[in-house]
Amino acid sequence: MSSKETFTQISPSEFFYRNRDLAGFSNPTRSLYTAVREFIENSLDACDQKGILPDVHMSIKAVDAEKPDPKQYILSVRDNGPGIESKQVPLAFGTVLYGSKFGLKQARGMFGLGATMAILYGQITTNKPLIVKSSTDGKIQDEYEMLLDIQKNKPVILKHETKEVAKAGLSLSIRLEGDYSKAGSKIRDYVYQTSLITPYATITFDDPKGDRYRYTKVVRTMPPSPTIIRPHPHGIDVETIRRMLLDTHYQIPAVDDNMILKVRKELGLANKNLSYSEIMDKTQKKWKALTRPVRTVMALMSFLKMDFEKLSKTTIEEIDIGNKKLTYWDFGESQSVSVDMDPESFYYKQLASTVQGETLTSFLTKRFQRVGPTTALKFAEFAKFKPEHRIGTMTNQELVKLTDALQSFDDFMAPDPSCLAPLGESPLEKGMERFFEPDFLAVVQRGASAYSGFPFIIEMGIAYGGKISSRGINVYRFANRIPLLYDEGSDVVLKVVNDTDWSRYKVKGEPPLVIVSHICSTRIPYKTVGKENVADRPEIERELKLALLSLSRKLSSFMSKRGQAEAAIKRKNLYSKYIPLIAQFCTELAGKKKEPNYKKMITEEPIVEEKT
Amino acid sequence: MKKKPKKKVSEDKQSTLADLLRKHGAQIYDDLDKGNFPKFSIPSRSVSNIVYDKKIRQYILGANTAVRSSRNSSQLRSFTQLMWLAFFANRLTGQKKSSTLRDVYYSSQAFEVDFEDQAESDNIIVDLEAVLASPRESFHVFPEERSSVFGDLTIEYTVPGYQGKKTNLSDHPDGYAIGPSLTTAELIETSAEVVIAVEKGGLFTRFVEEQVDKKFKAIIVDTGGQAPRSTRTLLKRLHDELSLPVVILTDGDVYGEHIAMVIKSGSANAAHLRGLTVPDAKWVGVWATDIEKYKLPTIPMTESDIKRCHDLLKDPRYQEGIWKKELEVFLKIKRKAELEAFSKYGLTNITDKYLPHKLELAKSL
Repeated sequence: MSSKETFTQISPSEFFYRNRDLAGFSNPTRSLYTAVREFIENSLDACDQKGILPDVHMSIKAVDAEKPDPKQYILSVRDNGPGIESKQVPLAFGTVLYGSKFGLKQARGMFGLGATMAILYGQITTNKPLIVKSSTDGKIQDEYEMLLDIQKNKPVILKHETKEVAKAGLSLSIRLEGDYSKAGSKIRDYVYQTSLITPYATITFDDPKGDRYRYTKVVRTMPPSPTIIRPHPHGIDVETIRRMLLDTHYQIPAVDDNMILKVRKELGLANKNLSYSEIMDKTQKKWKALTRPVRTVMALMSFLKMDFEKLSKTTIEEIDIGNKKLTYWDFGESQSVSVDMDPESFYYKQLASTVQGETLTSFLTKRFQRVGPTTALKFAEFAKFKPEHRIGTMTNQELVKLTDALQSFDDFMAPDPSCLAPLGESPLEKGMERFFEPDFLAVVQRGASAYSGFPFIIEMGIAYGGKISSRGINVYRFANRIPLLYDEGSDVVLKVVNDTDWSRYKVKGEPPLVIVSHICSTRIPYKTVGKENVADRPEIERELKLALLSLSRKLSSFMSKRGQAEAAIKRKNLYSKYIPLIAQFCTELAGKKKEPNYKKMITEEPIVEEKT
Repeated sequence: MKKKPKKKVSEDKQSTLADLLRKHGAQIYDDLDKGNFPKFSIPSRSVSNIVYDKKIRQYILGANTAVRSSRNSSQLRSFTQLMWLAFFANRLTGQKKSSTLRDVYYSSQAFEVDFEDQAESDNIIVDLEAVLASPRESFHVFPEERSSVFGDLTIEYTVPGYQGKKTNLSDHPDGYAIGPSLTTAELIETSAEVVIAVEKGGLFTRFVEEQVDKKFKAIIVDTGGQAPRSTRTLLKRLHDELSLPVVILTDGDVYGEHIAMVIKSGSANAAHLRGLTVPDAKWVGVWATDIEKYKLPTIPMTESDIKRCHDLLKDPRYQEGIWKKELEVFLKIKRKAELEAFSKYGLTNITDKYLPHKLELAKSL
């Protein structure tokens, strides 16, 4: 074995190509199911974001119906959503890690990555292009046929044409290797359960056998769409803090031609060649209108005392605020040069502020949700940092200390739930009513709660009897409006349901009972990569228990009313059966001919029981 | 020759029972007619209500009663079952037909009165016994198990087809089965002066062969292990109606001792019934003390024998006399002996030597 190893960088699409198991594309059965899921969720999310009542049509067709599974299928999903701008289409579907779902708010999936993965999988297994049809205005539709260049992570457009249409929306069609005979029931379950939790959507599924499954919308109101919010301090880790710092943090600007062009433009000096002092005068006047990078460049120029010509021949190496030294590389002289910075100068203060970043208190109040100045000061005391400590100057150790303190400080307000989009009690109730037509139905939406800084809301519904044909307690689990179909064994919802002593609620034997549980959160604590079961965080378990408790109590009172009515009928039947027998026997025993007149005893209501 | 008084006891009993049944029937009829829900009052047979009555020397039920009401839906079914059984008993006695526990269970099915199983119908039969304070034999429900009797005793049948017919119970050497017809027969006359009840059929046959009935002027009864109620009823009648003393011979072990005790004072299971006991009956052997005295071959007592000994020592009936003493000796020697053990000294040893000793001894017990 060679002692030398070579390290090469791979593109994201190459990475996913090699690790497609992780994304749910391990075999034809699972891949077909995952592709369906990703496409439908993409469509529903797109509609949700624009407040459009979704109408999603999916079809799966075998390329050659005669062949045995696994074989090639064409999966097409069409929606009435906003569509995607023509020029965005190649990037959106032709590269991995391109997506619009960044930011902290509840969405079904993250990053829009899954749909791209499905496309990638289809291409790997069939070498056929993706067909995208998109119309954003409902007039012109762009139709693309394209492949993904895996190594370069770039789209390869095979065909692009436009035509006139009547409706806006997006349609995706891929060819992929799949096994419908095995994945079919899972896919049908998925469509069924998705309709249950999305009662405002119409979902149609044409399966390969020619059967159509269609669930039309039962409500016309959509849940209010969630807002994007800043993170809560409890939900932060060191890596996130580092990224937030990078986001706000000063970067030494590259003083290249582009930058100089930008500076000239902002100062209004398009083509004029001014001297150093003339430039600085202009800067003073325009300061307030300048953008951040330009301000930084100008502050640097004030110490370098160079004009644009000279500036373009240098590159800044280090800004050492502590020692008030500025070091640059001079291309002309090919050497490193240090200059002192005057701490009293206006520009020094600007530079110091930029380089060192915000103060701790300002960072907390501006970057996190629901942190006011008072809380920020209290936190600084708790974390043993000076409130004016500049976060840009923090060492790694200090960052870890800060993160630990953020997570353990108890006086932050609870996370803001406005980033969540629960379904709402009424739509949930209507959805369940449509699917189960039960004798009894109750739903509840709990108030917002939080675990580790992530807000969540529990919605739950319980249905009994009616058209529920299954026996035993049937639990439908949802997380962020996605059905969780498998691995239910270790799920926290199942745990809570199974821990319940149902006999206390007058539910016995194998009841026709359905429980629908919906957890909404900016981060669902899944137990496994497969995202099929939710871990038992104590806060979530508690909320689930409370939701179930309130519903079970309602069920219990329904059951006892129903039980009383049933018992009364049963009792009446008993008396009607036995009293005539008693009459018959005692007549002979007493030596009488005619039976006693007992009829009134079994027709009169109610019979008041005598308990001994 | 002992003669019975003229009054016919068994017919008498039957008419009281019929009256009692009719009385209950009429009460329930009236209740229904008035629109009231009828009920039975049944003496409670729960353990807490079973007490030992020293005066009459048997277990009896205390004062607690349970009401079974037809108004209570959970009791309605068993009320109807009890009502049906009373009705069925009335038919049985009226038509002089006999029946068994199993028969009753199947008969119910002709009347839409369903019993889950025979255990349920057996239980209702005990309920009716308690309500009527009479054993089931009095309303013609007999056990399956049979025991036998032999000796000079003339009886007169009362069962249909045999009414007025007389038989002497020494006419057949295998003895006569103690069944419904014999239990209900009138006891006419006897030359016997004692009744010997033995636990085992083998010994019963030996006694007949050796003419124990003639040699000792005895009526011999085979109890076939624990004596069935019909056998106990016959023993009681022989004692009460013909003034014959009753002696009991059992195996020399704790179970044998208890067989004798049940004949003498009944069982806790039948605490709701009187008239099944012969308080004057005497257990004459085989005692624990006989084992040593007669040098009998023995076998060791089992764990369950020993446990049974300890249980019985807590029973109020075993607190005195030979009952207590023999149990204690059994526990001491931890050995037991069967009736057949006497055969070690010759087949007739038991009738030649042991029996005369014991009959003599019985007079002083």
